[in-house]
Amino acid sequence: MAEAEIEVRNPSGLHARPAATFVRAAAALAVDVRVTNLSRDPDKSVSAKSVLGVMGLGVARGHRIRLGADGPEAEAAVKTLVDLVASGLGEEVAGS
Amino acid sequence: MSTRLHGLPAAPGVATGAPWIYRPPDANGVALRSIADAAEAAAAELERLAGRLRAEGRPDEAEILDAQALMAIDEELLAAAREREAAGGVGPAEAVVAAAEDVASGFEALDDPILSARAADVRDVGARIARHVSGTPPPQLARRSIVVANDLAPSVTVELDRALLAGIALEGGSRTSHAAILARALGIPAVVCVPRIVDASADVAELAIDGDAGLAVLDPDDADRDRLAHAAAAAALRRASDDALRGRPMATADGHRVQCMANVGDPSEAAAAFAAGADGIGLLRTEFAFAGRASAPGEDEQAEAYAEVLRAAGDAPVVIRLADIGGDKPLPYVPILDEANPFLGIRAIRLAETHPELFATQVRAILRASLAAGRPASIMAPMVADAADVAAVRRLIDDARSAVPDAPAPRVGIMVEIPSAVLLADQLGAIVDFMSIGTNDLTQYLLAADRTNPRLAGRQDPLHPAVLRAVAGIVAAGVAHDAEVAVCGEMAADPAGAALLVGLGVQELSMDPTAFGGVKRALAEWSSPELEAIARRALDCASAAEVRELVVTR
Repeated sequence: MAEAEIEVRNPSGLHARPAATFVRAAAALAVDVRVTNLSRDPDKSVSAKSVLGVMGLGVARGHRIRLGADGPEAEAAVKTLVDLVASGLGEEVAGS
Repeated sequence: MSTRLHGLPAAPGVATGAPWIYRPPDANGVALRSIADAAEAAAAELERLAGRLRAEGRPDEAEILDAQALMAIDEELLAAAREREAAGGVGPAEAVVAAAEDVASGFEALDDPILSARAADVRDVGARIARHVSGTPPPQLARRSIVVANDLAPSVTVELDRALLAGIALEGGSRTSHAAILARALGIPAVVCVPRIVDASADVAELAIDGDAGLAVLDPDDADRDRLAHAAAAAALRRASDDALRGRPMATADGHRVQCMANVGDPSEAAAAFAAGADGIGLLRTEFAFAGRASAPGEDEQAEAYAEVLRAAGDAPVVIRLADIGGDKPLPYVPILDEANPFLGIRAIRLAETHPELFATQVRAILRASLAAGRPASIMAPMVADAADVAAVRRLIDDARSAVPDAPAPRVGIMVEIPSAVLLADQLGAIVDFMSIGTNDLTQYLLAADRTNPRLAGRQDPLHPAVLRAVAGIVAAGVAHDAEVAVCGEMAADPAGAALLVGLGVQELSMDPTAFGGVKRALAEWSSPELEAIARRALDCASAAEVRELVVTR
């Protein structure tokens, strides 16, 4: 079981373009990563491979998300996605 | 007999054609393909259309279609559709449309404007997959047409034959919807929010639209055609003149300068405001930071957002208004008891009594952004009624300054929108650095006419002599106490209103940047003594209509 939390700093959150970038990266992983929007609903989690699921979390700028996965490659998979979110998902984001 | 329907302008230009009503294809046809195969085909088609847009130099719109291609093969959507199909009673096409509808209404239920706008993309994906299930070809135009629809997805617009697509008329949509943005980008005239246009177009032969005026004319006659041609020529001249005015100051004919400030609702709009020629940001509404979320925004996050505006402004002034939150749009983390009239309720700085931390955090964030920028943003308090309110705001700012001691001292001002603040303007002017008149709320409060009640729209004119007298009193108080007086309501964006305000002695007009050109043009037609004379006469008029007559006919 691997888990990590990160704040989304993209200007419009995890909508449209950044969500698509995130989901494409998740789809390339062998592991199923689950995503939770802690700032909106800590009890709801969706597959990182579902663009509709991820958009439906309503992640806005400043929201914290949790990424979690199970299995042997879980740790590496979670780290890949956390690094991707930290890098701004292909958008320019301001540092904290 | 022609019929005119008034909507909102979305993309400039005049167009005429046969109305062609777009409706998503019927989902009850024969199923030729499985849901999975249809989804693959829809995704491939969306990627191809995205490629076409990219080749036309429209990468932003192409990304919408790329995202839709991902939605089309979304495992959760397809699983939900298959489940509905397996449950019986519906065919595969209907099952997909219903599953997409579920997701779309889920998006809309989250009360997040960006996500709500994406709901239309999801419905469009559902309709596209359904079309592939039944093997129906994409809809196509047969002759030069005005496309009429409730809303129009970009994927549908790009599929239509551009040579036959003369214009777009939507019953729904908005200036910022994808359909409007794409129409402007492709140079297709468009109007949105036209009431009844879908039903009304059903049995007319010809439809004309004026994308500058937001007008649709059903079955136009020769007189309509002449008017539209005239309007098209005038609009083209106006656009050329707006472009030419961008770099010029806002001033009267005799060179009296007026500060041309921008009203901005999101940090990302600040750069565009300066590109349009703003002298500064006269009103940064901060509700963007608070809406659509479960918990209050943090100090870091807000500081970064305000810093973004200060960066875009360079050395130009920036006025940040403290959050104007109230019972009309309740937030999950600011519970407000049910109020019979939220506009007369616990809103804006009145909330500081029960939620001091909300405002303390916001002021600290503004101070930290000012510290990072090396110069202060001005802080403006909304809904100030009297000197006690100002004292409370000053205490709030003093406390925050002890937490951020190195931050430069902000200028502190108030919105004047409550009648008591108008009557006490001499007291208030003495204890603030500036006063900004919110003419929208001031008009509704002075005339006791609810802004949200369309039947009172006729009583909402800020050119009413009562509003003008209020402005005159505030300006006098500002002059007496050396407090700047600005106006940040709709009145500043109306050429006639702006002319009167300058005549009354207002030094700063803050408005949506799209209004800069019109106001600059209007002010340049008058000398300041002329404007002062008209304003003096306007104070003695009996009605808003009389005032308007005075300005228009001078």
